[in-house]
Amino acid sequence: MPPRKRPAPPLEDPTPASRSPPADQPSEPSDSATPTISQSILAKLPSQERQMYIVIFEAGSKGMWMQDIRKKLMLGPQIGNKIARNLVSMKLVKEVSDVRHRSKKVFMATDFQPSAEITGGTWYHDGRLDSDAVAAARRSCKAQVERLGVATAQMIHNGILRDNPNAGYTIDKIRDIVRTMVLDKVLEEVKSTGEGEFSSIRSGTVCYRVAWAAEGGMMEGIPCGICPRIDECSPEGVISPSTCVYYKKWLQMDF
Amino acid sequence: MVSQHGILLAISIISDHFGPLVSKVCGCLLRHGPLSLQDIIRRLQLSSGQVKNSLLVLIQHNCVQAYSTPRGSGDKTVTLYLAIFDNVLHRLRFSKFLSLVRVDIPESEVLLEGLLQNGRLTFDQLVGRTISKAPEGSPAPTREEIRMNFNKLVYAHYVERCPRPEPFFDPLADEQPTSTRKRAPKAVEIVLSLEQKILRTAALSDAERFSEIPYFMEGSSNANEHDNHAVAGGKRKHEDLEVDEEDSIIAENEVLWRTNFEKFIFCLKKKFCAERKKTKLKLGTHVIWEAFFEANVTNNDSKTVTSPINRILERVGQKEGGTSMTLDQIISVLNDLECISTTRNPEDFTFDLNKLVEACRNDEIESLVKKKHGQEAYTIFRLLLKQGCPVETDEITDRTILDKQVVHGTLYKLWKDEYIDSERVPYVSGTGGSQFFVWRVKNTYREQFIDHLYHTALNLRHMVNNLAELLLEGTKDETKLRNRKNILVLALTRHDESLMLFHDF
Ligand code: SF4
Repeated sequence: MPPRKRPAPPLEDPTPASRSPPADQPSEPSDSATPTISQSILAKLPSQERQMYIVIFEAGSKGMWMQDIRKKLMLGPQIGNKIARNLVSMKLVKEVSDVRHRSKKVFMATDFQPSAEITGGTWYHDGRLDSDAVAAARRSCKAQVERLGVATAQMIHNGILRDNPNAGYTIDKIRDIVRTMVLDKVLEEVKSTGEGEFSSIRSGTVCYRVAWAAEGGMMEGIPCGICPRIDECSPEGVISPSTCVYYKKWLQMDF
Repeated sequence: MVSQHGILLAISIISDHFGPLVSKVCGCLLRHGPLSLQDIIRRLQLSSGQVKNSLLVLIQHNCVQAYSTPRGSGDKTVTLYLAIFDNVLHRLRFSKFLSLVRVDIPESEVLLEGLLQNGRLTFDQLVGRTISKAPEGSPAPTREEIRMNFNKLVYAHYVERCPRPEPFFDPLADEQPTSTRKRAPKAVEIVLSLEQKILRTAALSDAERFSEIPYFMEGSSNANEHDNHAVAGGKRKHEDLEVDEEDSIIAENEVLWRTNFEKFIFCLKKKFCAERKKTKLKLGTHVIWEAFFEANVTNNDSKTVTSPINRILERVGQKEGGTSMTLDQIISVLNDLECISTTRNPEDFTFDLNKLVEACRNDEIESLVKKKHGQEAYTIFRLLLKQGCPVETDEITDRTILDKQVVHGTLYKLWKDEYIDSERVPYVSGTGGSQFFVWRVKNTYREQFIDHLYHTALNLRHMVNNLAELLLEGTKDETKLRNRKNILVLALTRHDESLMLFHDF
């Protein structure tokens, strides 16, 4: 997959500036019928507003970044903003937040609902990660795997839908969640052998079961193992085991 | 190449066991690689006698191997000394080696102890030592008894004949395989370090290493039962014995014996794997897992263990609840435990130790990442390890379903602690130039972890020594100090398990 264009400097990340929440953003995706541009509206609009409305409308559910709009129409920043504001006040266009770039102004025709790419999808709310929703989904998945022993993503999904028909997760969302649980070693990925505990699953299918927590070594139990200064520490140095406060604390603990 | 703190740890071990002079010589060899006597003298500014004595101590304790190598273009050779880092570290594990033999061949423990304490001994010396160590009141063991107990150690490969004292090794000509290298695999040969090549040149063939001491004393004629294991080179065949008896006795008296560390490390590796997996077994499968390990036959590699099914069955049958298990049940559990049989050898079940060792190594590093930098760091680190290639910041956010700010903060922490690398990638789009960041796990993260392992062990030893000194001085808090020291010693023993996991297994 080619990398998407997303500048994301880790060190000097901009703080989310003046982010205006989208006007009316229902959480459910809209109907499948694609909206078409209304000629009667176009007829009523002044020329510059009309041009901008067409450009934004064509961007559909992805919306368009102000800077891209201006480039396309060759407008200066001030005039560009003014036209956009006009369109917003006419309720033809709305400003939406882009989960990836909260400081960017993105405009979208009101006929569209922001795509998952913009909103971040199910797990995002108002452009922010909905940790509670994620945690709830993970709990449901784990409960299903615990109940079933081993389960495919489909089995987990079916189980959740049966227990809670209103949960509204798609199978893809469940897959995403299950994958993060594998990363966290809450679940482990195994291939069905078609025998024994896998007898109900076709051989070769990827399935999941509850994983064992990783076992650490002694390192994490010794001050030096987790010490942030270990690279500067030496018997003759300023930071040295003989004068180490971490050790003092550690050894005193048991007495 | 051994890392900085690995060398410091080795020096500290040698210094504690043999004093500062010997540790200086050992450190010099570890830092600079093989050196001649003259070079060592020059570098350390010590007298020739001091260096010679230190080298003798190190050779006696198997921490240095001498070899001769061509000098200049003529026929002249020079003797170089190579420090054997692994053998220095094994000194931390002597108590573990002893407890292995205590369980396996208790009657031979005292003999192994003699070899561990003295490095290399002839059988005669060992006999003298054993007789003098016999507890008062009980009859001293006879030479014949000692020989039998000793042969048990040799037969089990716990003990071996010492390698050649000073083999010839020409680094330029080492491409041609030497005839003595019995252990070298035929097909793919892994790239060996200089140290490994020299040690291979010095090594005897397996038949020579483990040829037991034959019975040749007058009198008791029924003591021949152990000789049938003595499948040594031609000159030790039974028929020759009578002819060469005189020579043999003399030869045996000169042969030096030592502990075979390889075997002990393999036993510890097996034990480690058996125990690591034991905690994760399902109810009722313990019996089979234990039986599998008890039924092992000797493999000729240190990567796997193999047990034939009839021996496994026999062992399972001896255990509680084992008699009621059917063959199908047992085989299905074995497969679940990743003990695999091949179609060519359906009777033999093999478990891949190295695969488990590798998984345990990852577990340990990942678990430390979690402890140091939190759950999110664990998730991200595992993602990057799994991907094995650079991953873009937003893809990390998408795949981990973590908050973007949290991802940024965590990536920064991991980057600062040198677990991961980042790279700025310029990107040209229709709307102008831009850039994004990709992240990957540093390929040095393992080495860094191992260096920290050594450093940690070094610091623990330092603390133990500090406390030991305080105890010597005598204080009123003696019990308190003693308890602390015990905690540290215990930690050091457990920590050594990680050292072995990463360095020796
Ligand atoms: S001795 Fe103290 S300062 Fe040094 S590495 Fe250990 S914990 Fe850190």
